[in-house]
Amino acid sequence: MKKITFFTLCIASISLCMAQDLCEEALGVDFGTYSVGGIDGEPAPENCINLFNNGEAGEWYKFVPQQDYYLEISTDLAVNTGKDTRFHVYVGNCDDLTCLGGDEDSGNNLLSKFHFNATQGTTYFIVFDNKWSSEGFDFEISEYVAPETLIAFEASVINPMPPGNTLGAVDMTGDFLDDIVSIAADNVNILEQTTPGTFNEINIPTSNAPFIPSWSFAVADFDRNGFNDLLYGGGAGVTFMKASSDGTSFTEISDDQFVFSQRSNFVDINKDGHLDAFVCHDWEPNVYYLNDGFGNLVFNQGGLGDSEQGGNYGSIWVDYDNDGDLDLFIAKCRGGNTEIKINQMHRNNGDGTFSEVAEEIGLADPIQTWSSAWADFDNNGFMDVFVGASSFEDGSHKLMYNNGDGTFTDFTTGTGIENMMSMGTENVAYDFNNDGYVDIYGIGGRILINNGDMTFTDAQIDIPNGPVGDFNNDGFLDIIDYDKIQYNQPNGNNWLKVALVGTESNINGIGARIEVISALGKQIRDVKAGIGFRYMNSLNTHFGIGEDTEISKVIVKWPSGIVDEISNPDFNKTLVVEEGSFLSVNKTAYKNLSLYPNPATEVIHINSAFNIEGEKYEVFSITGQRQISGTIQQASSIQIDRLSSGIYFLKVYANGKVFQRKFIKE
Amino acid sequence: MRINYYFLVLSAIFLISCSDDEGYSEISDEYPPGETPKEEMVSFDLEAVPYSKLSDYNFYDGELKAMEPVSTVLPYELITPLFTDYAKKKRFIWMPATEKALFVADKEIFNFPNSTVLIKNFYYEKVLPENEQKIIETRLLFKRNGNWEFADYVWNDEQTEAYLDLEGSYVALEWEENGEIKSTDYRIPSENECVTCHKTNEMPIPIGPKPQNLNRLYNYTDGEQHQLQKWVDKGFLESFPKEIVTVKDWTDESQPLEQRVRSYFDINCAHCHSENAHCSYRSLRLAYSESESLEHMGVCIEPEEYIAPGLLYIIMGNNKERSNMYYRLNSEDEASRMPLLGRTIVHREYVELLEEWINSLENNCQ
Repeated sequence: MKKITFFTLCIASISLCMAQDLCEEALGVDFGTYSVGGIDGEPAPENCINLFNNGEAGEWYKFVPQQDYYLEISTDLAVNTGKDTRFHVYVGNCDDLTCLGGDEDSGNNLLSKFHFNATQGTTYFIVFDNKWSSEGFDFEISEYVAPETLIAFEASVINPMPPGNTLGAVDMTGDFLDDIVSIAADNVNILEQTTPGTFNEINIPTSNAPFIPSWSFAVADFDRNGFNDLLYGGGAGVTFMKASSDGTSFTEISDDQFVFSQRSNFVDINKDGHLDAFVCHDWEPNVYYLNDGFGNLVFNQGGLGDSEQGGNYGSIWVDYDNDGDLDLFIAKCRGGNTEIKINQMHRNNGDGTFSEVAEEIGLADPIQTWSSAWADFDNNGFMDVFVGASSFEDGSHKLMYNNGDGTFTDFTTGTGIENMMSMGTENVAYDFNNDGYVDIYGIGGRILINNGDMTFTDAQIDIPNGPVGDFNNDGFLDIIDYDKIQYNQPNGNNWLKVALVGTESNINGIGARIEVISALGKQIRDVKAGIGFRYMNSLNTHFGIGEDTEISKVIVKWPSGIVDEISNPDFNKTLVVEEGSFLSVNKTAYKNLSLYPNPATEVIHINSAFNIEGEKYEVFSITGQRQISGTIQQASSIQIDRLSSGIYFLKVYANGKVFQRKFIKE
Repeated sequence: MRINYYFLVLSAIFLISCSDDEGYSEISDEYPPGETPKEEMVSFDLEAVPYSKLSDYNFYDGELKAMEPVSTVLPYELITPLFTDYAKKKRFIWMPATEKALFVADKEIFNFPNSTVLIKNFYYEKVLPENEQKIIETRLLFKRNGNWEFADYVWNDEQTEAYLDLEGSYVALEWEENGEIKSTDYRIPSENECVTCHKTNEMPIPIGPKPQNLNRLYNYTDGEQHQLQKWVDKGFLESFPKEIVTVKDWTDESQPLEQRVRSYFDINCAHCHSENAHCSYRSLRLAYSESESLEHMGVCIEPEEYIAPGLLYIIMGNNKERSNMYYRLNSEDEASRMPLLGRTIVHREYVELLEEWINSLENNCQ
């Protein structure tokens, strides 16, 4: 109807037909479909799409809603097939227009659509620009009805520097809220999440890094000073940026070792309580940097994936055999008929050595993969793996089921994954719909929803892979999409996030196994820094619990051997667990340091794996009051006869760490 | 006087080498006394190579940095060469006098005999601040026991000698190129970087010396001659067919645009984008012999690897900005740029040619 009116007007008067050439003469439109004859007016003033430059001409329309609407402007119409459109939406007046948004390609192929909340009485200027073509097309204004999808996202524009190259979704300020981290050679740009969904820009200038994170970015506090440090995986080497003790500056650490970096990780490789760094090498054996405990990183090459010609793309550290230490899986890729492309599993023998066992456990696939997504997809207590192909040349995606006996079985057929035809380099595992079953995000920006029965459904969401975190702290995981946050829309399901503070283990708790037990079963996660291929995701560990309204227990099994158990924690919030603060009194034997007898009456003895003579100790009551403090003497025993009966914590400060143990005084 | 001097020096080298091992004397037997002057003898002992210094091979006559080959070493040129940050190149080949290479196919590397040496010098002219020539490195590919091996010689600042170094390093360079000052942190590759391009199924191979890349005239010191005929005359090559499907000089404006583009892709991209190569798992097939297919060139093919938003196809006709390949050839970001190795700055002149070709394609994939 409107379209007909418009055409009639157009025929009746040339001047009216030309009216949409200027802001001042923007043609008023309402709901309906309109034909744009061609684009030949004043150009769009500002680029609200942040992609490509604007064309030299524009065509102007305005819309003033009669009431509040959820509005969609779209050129994604059958009649436009084969065309390439783009448009911008502004608010304000012709002298002062402000970008509201716009779109390039959200429709089919090259067509555009954009939806937003429109307020009654506000004038919205819609400007099509002729970047791609000046030819005519149709557009439609309608009330937006979100399609029925398994999961929904709403985009919100951000302005990181450099634009569109955000690498990290990780807390940089110590408040356990995910921040947005973007890197230039001489600057760290942090959009600090202050209150949920709002950001404070912080720029920390750095020295000019010789290697920039072109290939991968990893974050963790390897010198345990309370602020996370950065790893830049570059095409010719690795740079570390070590955060100062107040988090306001970085000290660069680089060497001249040539490394064609691929995935990098922070992980305590040698189980000494200090985070080391691992970097996949595309052309040589993998490299790793061992932390001496004083913040120094010592370069090593060899022993963890030694293909002479590399082919190492996606390293991920996961405990596949539930023996309490992290094993190293490497997604490999290489053209041609070569063993280099065969994926590897380096089983941690627990004694500082690793054995490559992919063949014997069923993971030695030649699939051309850049990353794999690990999770316990059926909540049976063992980590399964989705091996995502980046090319079908040597086989397509595979879901490998952990049989629980240290072997894997190809489980792909019947899961729906066998029908997934898109592919990509990034593959990660998260529970995006908080239903208690971990989903897969990858194969070129698709979210594969886990139906809870080891089948998966493509959610028909297309968000090119970016860092994953929670940017409004609503417990639903969001995604950075170029220069936007894609906010995951809550669906009512409940959740828990767990943030770890290690004391004798590494401070980020990387390598800890977290178990969450609720009515739907036991879910497990391994805390990791560096998954997928390129990005650094949240260091908080996220669990969806579906409709469950109680979590009976959270168990944190730390790399040190400490086990914290938290009964009935509040959910729909972040649970911060400091290592050793929820110790079970029943467990008394620990690897590093144990107390005996326990319970005790007069004296408690300390049995430690290293010398603690002369180290400081403190004894706290269960309410946190310090009862005794002093220096450990040769006999390594502490008089407790003056304590009243009850539960106490002993803290021993040694090796730059804090060892916290619980005991009962009878 | 000059000749006598070199004769003495080179004879000395010859004598030392000769007395040191038997491998060399076998080769020297191939030159009956009187036929080849000793100063023209290349020293190449399969048991002892790679030597520690470039001069040890005696590839060059006179001052090393002049890169004037001895008469048993032949210069050659590729019709369209690899781009490596505007470096100039001088290529030479040497093989034992009793051995010949065999023709395999237009698009295949010749079947070279053991002890064949391919010599490639990388240098720049007008290097600042002195505006002088600077040779950076001399790369060797040689064949031993049927396998190709690498050696790389890095030139000293005095330009008097180059030393074996396969560890890889950087040279900061600033030079004038067509009236424009350019700069780069020139990368001298390590052995592993050499292999990344020079391989098939991870076995090292040369890239350039194929009939299709050599089938043309070359201006030798003794006059212009057909390169392959010269190889035959010199005893380097048994024979070659009359008809050879040959790449075009990408700068030759008299040639069809599409063939110029494909010729450049062959030498710059096909070493990875071919069967059994580093990136054979991607669908591009960019060897000249395979790239007649628009699909192999990526036209209207969606990229498998996400690089940046809005790049819907590897090549989209008449739309360079939406063409992933154009974006990557026009990028200096190390994770986006193509080729991944050998180039850190944009080859502006070729990118313009690529644009011209993309604009000539009508298919916008819709």
